[in-house]
Amino acid sequence: MDIQLKRGLLDVCVLAAIKNEDSYGYKIIKDMKPYLELSESTLYTILKRLETADMLKVRSVEHNGRLRKYYHITSAGLKRINDFREEWKEMVSIYQFVSREDDSNE
Amino acid sequence: MSKQEFLNQLERRLAGLPAEDIDERLNFYSEMIDDRMEEGLSEEEAVNEIGPIDTVVSQILSETPFPIIVREKIRSKRSFETWEIVLLVLGFPLWFSLLVAAASLVFSVFVVIWSLAFSMWAVTFSFAISVIVAVLGGIVEIFRFEGWRGVAYISIGFIMAGFSILMFIASIYMSKAAILLSKKFWIKIKSFFVGGENA
Repeated sequence: MDIQLKRGLLDVCVLAAIKNEDSYGYKIIKDMKPYLELSESTLYTILKRLETADMLKVRSVEHNGRLRKYYHITSAGLKRINDFREEWKEMVSIYQFVSREDDSNE
Repeated sequence: MSKQEFLNQLERRLAGLPAEDIDERLNFYSEMIDDRMEEGLSEEEAVNEIGPIDTVVSQILSETPFPIIVREKIRSKRSFETWEIVLLVLGFPLWFSLLVAAASLVFSVFVVIWSLAFSMWAVTFSFAISVIVAVLGGIVEIFRFEGWRGVAYISIGFIMAGFSILMFIASIYMSKAAILLSKKFWIKIKSFFVGGENA
């Protein structure tokens, strides 16, 4: 897959993983596993990028005597997801156009 | 490898990056290992799932911009003694030429990596030119009523067109290989600045 496209997809996927409730690193990886294999260092970079872009906020929570970082989506993050869905609608209609051409050839 | 061993090794291999950056990453990996162990994995398995330390380090390096690495390198030795400054000034002809030599060495490696791709593109380009010349020449010959010569020219043009298409494909592959190699070499350069004993 195209690197630029994949990077954008990963950003949105991580946002989607924390959309409904705050989540932490390992849980994000587990939740995404059926759809996308994600390594720790990749996730770290994505989280960092999203935090810099104010799409999520980080807070540390005490858990079993250690600190665990929870990630909370911001309104900018939610907007990113919605933008993505709008863009994807366009993509789907283009895809349908491309596939239709395919069918008529056979 | 135990969790502590993993984190110690990672810390050593990342020495040279900004300190707060290293801390944050170590905390991140520590949390990742702890969460896995809470799920019932043994310490060893949890560390293994994070992946080989070489992969982790080279991924981190490829994501860290070069200027940050260099800035950190300079910052870590900020306070110069007077005699150091004197030595630095006196030694300028020496260290400056060494620096230039090192930089040109790095540059030359990139040139070598790219020269093959570049020459292949040059060949592709010249083939394409020869196609145009042969076909145009052929048409001119036909108009001069040198029919057979014209046909011969044009056929040569078609053969050259085939060659140039093949060369075009080969050039694309070569460029992709060059990009990959450049990336790897760049990470190597970065790891030269980062990391303690076993960088």
